[in-house]
Amino acid sequence: MSDSITTTEPRQNLSDFYNPNVLVNLGPSHPAMHGTLRVMCRVNGEVIEDSTCEIGYLHRAIEKLAENKTYHQWIVYTDRLNYCSALTNNIAYVMAVEDILGIQVTDRCMWIRVICMELSRIIDHIICVAINALDMGALTCFWYLYHWREEAYTMIEAMCGMRLTTSYARIGGMSYDLPDNFDELMAKFIKGLPKSLDDVEKLLTTNRIWTDRTRGVGKLTREQAIDLGVTGPCLRASGVDFDLRRDRPYYTYPELDFEVAVGLNGDVYDRYLVRIEEMRQSLKILKQCMKKLPKGPLWVEDKRVFIPNKQDVYTKMEVLIHHFKIFMEGIDVPPGEAYNAVEAPNGELGFYVVSRGGPKAWRIKIKSPSLLHFQSFETSAKGSKIPDAIAILGSLNIIAGELDR
Amino acid sequence: MSVAFGVIRDRQDQLFLHLEQTYPSHRVLRDKIEEPILWLRSPDELVPMIEALRREPATQFDRLSDITAYDNIDHVDGPKRLIVVYQLYSLQHHTRLRLKIAIDQDESVPTLTVVWGAANWLEREVFDMFGIRFAGHPDLRRILMDERFVGHPLLKEYELEARQPFSDSLPVRIATGFESPEESH
Repeated sequence: MSDSITTTEPRQNLSDFYNPNVLVNLGPSHPAMHGTLRVMCRVNGEVIEDSTCEIGYLHRAIEKLAENKTYHQWIVYTDRLNYCSALTNNIAYVMAVEDILGIQVTDRCMWIRVICMELSRIIDHIICVAINALDMGALTCFWYLYHWREEAYTMIEAMCGMRLTTSYARIGGMSYDLPDNFDELMAKFIKGLPKSLDDVEKLLTTNRIWTDRTRGVGKLTREQAIDLGVTGPCLRASGVDFDLRRDRPYYTYPELDFEVAVGLNGDVYDRYLVRIEEMRQSLKILKQCMKKLPKGPLWVEDKRVFIPNKQDVYTKMEVLIHHFKIFMEGIDVPPGEAYNAVEAPNGELGFYVVSRGGPKAWRIKIKSPSLLHFQSFETSAKGSKIPDAIAILGSLNIIAGELDR
Repeated sequence: MSVAFGVIRDRQDQLFLHLEQTYPSHRVLRDKIEEPILWLRSPDELVPMIEALRREPATQFDRLSDITAYDNIDHVDGPKRLIVVYQLYSLQHHTRLRLKIAIDQDESVPTLTVVWGAANWLEREVFDMFGIRFAGHPDLRRILMDERFVGHPLLKEYELEARQPFSDSLPVRIATGFESPEESH
């Protein structure tokens, strides 16, 4: 009786069902996608032959809000761009506004801002390296590094009262001076992190599994990287020796001694090496900053932007009126425009501010590194496998907040 | 204030003089931190001008930093309605240059995707936010907003709270080639 079944029906092979064009959808809410990113891949077997990205899931109209909020009110929105390095975003934005106002911040303020930017570079790189390793199954590195991220956040909390959304910078100064115990906190951080970095390097750099998973994966050549507008560690990993801190120095970077890490192959492995080295260089910068940090006023003596001390606001009438005007009307920024870019952890972060006078900007454009990085993903993912795509995505360190704005 | 100093500042001055001499019939200005701004007279000049700026040893603008636009509804920058802005960067000289073109809403600008791959998404974003058409763009459709969205949110007449929520998402489309901008509304 079993004969009748086998003889009447044609035999079917799995190869009869083989489809060389399978579509695999990743995201927008998928635990491996690091935020609301969506990628559609055309997969042949395990190889990605084509991919297309879709963005906009976290679009919050931040640029439109910039035209409807005063310059001060908008500082909090910059926290929500790259929430992993909010301090850098705050500072890059106020720099652009200060450019239009023609304000030169005080020495102490500059040094504090450099400390903030380097600290947030370390945090951002920790997130990138640790999560990238986590995605590929290396859980231990995550614990080693995240401990120091917590320590850094404790430091940031002592600086401005917030951990993630800092809003630390103000136009013309900073909201608070450094806390009294900052030296101790920083000394502990500078002493402790290199050991963890060594541990992570021992676990990963020569690890056979790690190198097999990352070498030659997600390659971008030097020409491709420049063509696609890639910046920051990803560009340097492709062998382009370009760092805005050194090439277009701002604040106190010319007085600091640091080196720019450059890779060779532009793959996930080189991006990892560049980031590890940049963390060490940032520590070196922080060490110098703590030595050179001058005493003196934090705020610029400029009536247009100076936020008075609370004590004076409560006791002196003129100061109260001044305080009221700054916060209710906003500061009056003269007509003009400026584009200011800093070397953010992810790459070139620029703010293009057009002012037509008055307390609100006419137009603010955020040049976020992540937008062009995510665009390059379509190129670099071609020919790799689905798990490699996750590794590439992690190494580009795309933050949905600044991608969609 | 992040005014460039030292060698970068000298290069900025040199670049400004060079641009004034090379393009005497164009407006060459400087912004609040002395970065040069070059106004193009018409969109047709864009691609040849960029090619020249990229090629010439004195300028060598080999990297596209950003493309954006702003609304000129108050006509401070001339009679045309929109200003398209290109931010260029030279990896050789470490100088910046901002190119500007004034256009009306019915005009289009040639695409830069033929010069830099980076221009693709940047132009899509400008199209999405301002409705500016980029002639020859391979896949000009909305990027941040949903394709069903009506209007262009960064134009000044678009109200801040005019939200258009969509509860579902459209299937992802893979670019197939040039699509006329009229259809993608």
